[in-house]
Amino acid sequence: MIAAPRLRGLLLMAPAGAFVALAFLLPLAILLSGSFQAEDGQLGVQRYVQFFADPLNREVFLRTLRIGFLVTLASVILGYVAALAIVDLDPGSRGRVIGLVTLPIMISPVARTYAWIVLLGRTGLVNSVAHEFGFTDAPLRLLYTEPAVFLGLLQLLLPLIILPLVSALENVPRDAVPAARMLGAGWWTIFVRILLPLSREGLGVGGVLVFTGAITAYITPAMLGGAKVLMLETLLYQRVNVTDDIATATVITALLVAMSVVAKALLNRIARGRPLGRGRAR
Amino acid sequence: MSDAFLELHGVTLRYGRSIAVDALDLSVGAGELVALLGPSGCGKTTTMRAVAGLLKPTSGQIRIGGQDVTRVPPNKRDVGLMFQSYALFPHLSVFENVAFGLRLRRLGEAEIAERAAAALASVGLAGTEGRLPRELSGGQQQRVALARALVVRPRLLLLDEPLSNLDARLRLEMRTEIARLQRELGLPMIYVTHDQVEALALAHRIIVMRGGRIEQDGAPAEIYERPRNAFVARFVGFETILPATSLPGAPRGATAAFGWRPHHVQVGAGPYEGRVLGASYLGEAVEYLIESDFGPIKAEAPADLPRHGPGDPVRFDLPLSRAVALEAEPAPGGA
Repeated sequence: MIAAPRLRGLLLMAPAGAFVALAFLLPLAILLSGSFQAEDGQLGVQRYVQFFADPLNREVFLRTLRIGFLVTLASVILGYVAALAIVDLDPGSRGRVIGLVTLPIMISPVARTYAWIVLLGRTGLVNSVAHEFGFTDAPLRLLYTEPAVFLGLLQLLLPLIILPLVSALENVPRDAVPAARMLGAGWWTIFVRILLPLSREGLGVGGVLVFTGAITAYITPAMLGGAKVLMLETLLYQRVNVTDDIATATVITALLVAMSVVAKALLNRIARGRPLGRGRAR
Repeated sequence: MSDAFLELHGVTLRYGRSIAVDALDLSVGAGELVALLGPSGCGKTTTMRAVAGLLKPTSGQIRIGGQDVTRVPPNKRDVGLMFQSYALFPHLSVFENVAFGLRLRRLGEAEIAERAAAALASVGLAGTEGRLPRELSGGQQQRVALARALVVRPRLLLLDEPLSNLDARLRLEMRTEIARLQRELGLPMIYVTHDQVEALALAHRIIVMRGGRIEQDGAPAEIYERPRNAFVARFVGFETILPATSLPGAPRGATAAFGWRPHHVQVGAGPYEGRVLGASYLGEAVEYLIESDFGPIKAEAPADLPRHGPGDPVRFDLPLSRAVALEAEPAPGGA
């Protein structure tokens, strides 16, 4: 009798499950297994060794990790600040502010990225203002730099962490923060010991969305970084479309999947509330 | 009171144009349990939160133990607060909830364990250390909140409607518990409630509030038996309140109105005539709502007297000998 509802549940999940299995898991498995197969058909990590033997590939890989990490870090910090402020609003204005936060998501990434080009280009707004006020003699090269890619990605992905953080922080019991204050906790302690552990699911979800989004974004690094600031995704596109190097492409894809999985595991671990003790109370 | 432990001088809290607390003067002596009593919106919770430091007064001064704490943040005031919602930390075990404040005081692990265990034992919750708050009943959560507030040995404890989420039996039990702890610790407390029964049973002194001001400040018996004005009288059960001018033969002077509890009204005989609107059997007594020239009158008569049904004409008396004389009320809301 107990098994019946479970069976029904499984049946109901079957169509979606089958779709995911056929359209996603299976191709992914084929792709990943391909990356572990050398040209002569032998199983092994030979393709990975070859990939990392190339200094350009190493550089791109490390840059992707770096930009992914920095964008995630910055969006976690800015996201918490924004989410805490939003949760503090009365429900009416909260809805309006959340609407504003989601607005950029509805605008085409290409249009948004062009806006950055307008701002950061050689004759862009930033350079003309800096020149006008005599801060610079020659225009600064802002476009096709890592900071430009970082900025573009941060703007693109920030809403994806604000929203889960807001919904997580909304569920923190109303008096938990004043209760901690009354027991002697300062703001940092309250954040680390109360708010962070109670919003860890939002942090996990948002952090993974941002990190994965940052390392797999194509338009932003392509337009703001170009060939000078290659990331794995832009390199992948080059390998497939320009050099027709499918082998390297499968390795890059596998690396991106692995990075996402590792990032998720790490974020879950970091977000997990440590018990107050172990002599580290503050 | 010169030996006041907590003093509020002219404390005002303003939200935009509305005034939540209006130039309040209040004091609590060392070891005294004072109840702030009043309906919702009377400013009692706002006053308590200002004492806690969670709200900043617009003007006025708050002193604790002789020290001006008006600008001191709540985490530096050494004041405990037990929230109506308990406000336990849902992700921490019962033990860690109680130990939270101790850890912030950088005590040794052994002392933390010992004091937390003792605090839990003192509220009858030894053995629940490892559980999460959601695994406890409402009454048990309430006790954890009390233990958590007391374990850091605050110099003043504030209780915000601490019993309002409990059923009747637990309420009595908790009330006894709070009274016992207060006696044993000699800890000054402010007890915020809208329930006159709780205030009467627990407090050494009751401060009745309305519109951010104090209506009356006195011992429980004084508040209950000699309410100063109609507002306080209604709050402590004087259901029938009539202006002195409407009563033939009533003395004039300072008395603005007279008040009667339902059982003070005599039903079945007397100079006045009315009609029964409703009658409810309460066991020992019958409660009547009588329509009269004075307006509706609530009366209670012993059940063994002849009964009256709805629609019956009935004679009644409002004996002045049993009435409480009330002063005129200050105009509400002013300033």
